[in-house]
Amino acid sequence: MSDARLRRVQKEIRDCAKDKTSQISIEMIDENPFHLVGAFPGPPDTPYEGGYYEVDINIPETYPFQPVKMKFITKVYHPNVSSASGAICLDILKDAWSPVLTLKSTLISLQSLLNEPVPEDPQDAEVAKHYNSDRAGFISTAKHWAQAYAQAPVHKQQGGVTGGGGTKKVTDAEMAGLSEASVSQFVDMGFERPKVISVLKRMNYRGNNISNINENTVLEELFK
Amino acid sequence: MSSDGEEEFEFEFEDDDEGFDPEADSAGESISDAEAFDIMSPTLEEPPEKKPYDVNYRVRTMQEIMDMQTKEVKKVQSLLEVPADTAATLLRYYAWNSEKLQEQFWNDPTAALVSAGLSPPSSPSTSTQPLPSPLASPRPFECPICCMDYTKEQTATQTLALGCGHRFCRGCWTEYVVGKITTEGESGRIQCMESGCSRIVRAEPIDELVTSDVSKKYHNLLNQAFVSDAPSLRWCPHPGCEHIIECSQAPQKMLNQLVPTVTCRCGNDLCFGCGYPASHRPVICRIVKLWEKKCADDSETANWLQANTKECTKCQSTIEKNGGCNHMTCKKCKWEFCWVCMGPWSEHGTAWYQCNRFDEKSGSDNRDHQAKSRQSLERYLHYFNRWANHEHSAKLDADFYKSTQKKMEQMQSSANMSWIEVQFAKQAVDTVIAARITLKWSYCMAFYLKRNNMTELFEDNQRDLERAVETLGYSLEQNIGDVGAIAKLRQEVTNQSAYVQKRHDILMDDTLRGYLEHRWEFTV
Repeated sequence: MSDARLRRVQKEIRDCAKDKTSQISIEMIDENPFHLVGAFPGPPDTPYEGGYYEVDINIPETYPFQPVKMKFITKVYHPNVSSASGAICLDILKDAWSPVLTLKSTLISLQSLLNEPVPEDPQDAEVAKHYNSDRAGFISTAKHWAQAYAQAPVHKQQGGVTGGGGTKKVTDAEMAGLSEASVSQFVDMGFERPKVISVLKRMNYRGNNISNINENTVLEELFK
Repeated sequence: MSSDGEEEFEFEFEDDDEGFDPEADSAGESISDAEAFDIMSPTLEEPPEKKPYDVNYRVRTMQEIMDMQTKEVKKVQSLLEVPADTAATLLRYYAWNSEKLQEQFWNDPTAALVSAGLSPPSSPSTSTQPLPSPLASPRPFECPICCMDYTKEQTATQTLALGCGHRFCRGCWTEYVVGKITTEGESGRIQCMESGCSRIVRAEPIDELVTSDVSKKYHNLLNQAFVSDAPSLRWCPHPGCEHIIECSQAPQKMLNQLVPTVTCRCGNDLCFGCGYPASHRPVICRIVKLWEKKCADDSETANWLQANTKECTKCQSTIEKNGGCNHMTCKKCKWEFCWVCMGPWSEHGTAWYQCNRFDEKSGSDNRDHQAKSRQSLERYLHYFNRWANHEHSAKLDADFYKSTQKKMEQMQSSANMSWIEVQFAKQAVDTVIAARITLKWSYCMAFYLKRNNMTELFEDNQRDLERAVETLGYSLEQNIGDVGAIAKLRQEVTNQSAYVQKRHDILMDDTLRGYLEHRWEFTV
């Protein structure tokens, strides 16, 4: 059946290249037809708009009877995507897989996952907490990530401007979805900045949630 | 199987209230005799004396399990007037609950079929539109999975579509079904390959697609699913044993008052209620589970920490005092406090050698907490040590068999006793082991029992049995002397053995009856 696998993957790559409307691309990275890179633009009207997302595609021996293995190469701030590894939590990549699904249809599903997060079934619990407790803050952090990692334009209205050229640099606190005030509050006590950011992120020290967290609990975590 | 045989089988299967048969207490071996005659009508396997807390059960073979399914399928097939394959799929979907199936089916046959994955092609359960049959189309058919083209003639023979109309080539179907069965262990719920289509692939096409090895595995999986779906069936958990226990007197809701210990044909005990691979009488399944969890997880490590350490009252770091004076300085936050009263050291002034702030409120709360935790740990260890000790002793007693065997041979030669005359020693070892298992669990029970007059009674019974067991155990370890001594030893062991048996019965009887009479209260 490995012939069938090769035939099918080649056909999928061909078909995808022919299709100009979907904006989905699938390309080989080396000579291996079973290790591919897929890419698609961030869906409009989301924090990911304007970004360009690359996905690592590994085709198992048993494809298409077993699901394809996919993970984001581009860093994404999203409840169903690990912010560290790019691992994705999506039903069709697991038990809802069907052999008739294709690489392209799976990439389209990833695109719509960016549009509609499923925070009840998170891959990244910290991001999901942020998403659930402070939506505005989440959106702004996701935008920062899109700009920093997915080449999304900094100001949407200015269209062509890319990268951070000439604009205010995004701080590490903002990238973690934390307010500068919260971070400096603990940094001023003498703790190291990366440690403060990691602890506050883990504790979801954001927005209204700050009032639920005892300062001593934060200190306890920082001492660990 | 002739119709006579089937009727007999039905009788055996239906009749669970068969009374206690006084003939059965002659010996266990009558069972195996009966088995040899007719495997299809297993004898009711009952303990020699039926107690109100014992359950009736039968040990089934795989063949009997398969016959049960066939019988159920036939029944449903004729009742609902559907093909056998459909009846089987319906029954699997409704977890072999034929009452529920009939109710739903007569209520709405289409809905019942749809939810079981047997929908007609036009049903809404298939998310994609049914495809036009490629047999009618002049173009070649391309399998959407392997992208191979099939001519019109080939399509008829080399491709396959279920009732939902989603057509794929046979090669892909085989690959898919084999993967589902061999790597994922699926059986009754293998669905059509189309995304979102919940049509079930039934046994008939599967058997046709796969090799006989895989087909065998598939049917094995179906049987396994049947056993796990039926609340009155349970696999024997002992390695290598393929028997199934059937018992309808121990449903989940009865497990608060019953400990359904059964003995499989492989000779090992198990609990029908929870599948514990040994007897855990007299403790009910729920408490056994709690106890196992308590012993397994490291909640007791936390208890130890609580009993042996204190927390810095400022930064909550855990501190173990390793000597020195009571003037503690936390390494982390530099907070200074008194180990004895847990109050701040500054309030002690210069009186460091003797804590004069003993009545201070916050300090006393801390101390109470500490004492309580230490007490609870000690209590647990008391029961756990005794539980573990009996388990250990029971294991050693099993080794004892060997040395007993030797002694028995010795007795036969030196005291000129017959084989049957020396069996008392082996029986005594059996009695000790059985009693130890019960004693072991009695400590688990005692740990969770709420203290009242009933508990005292329980503990008295426990003490009496334990004493009797230790006496017998000691006698069994004695060396064999001359002829006169052997006769005396035999007398002693036989008497003690009978006494242990009696104490064992009393403890078991009283405790298990206690559940039925709602006498026991647990603190969990």
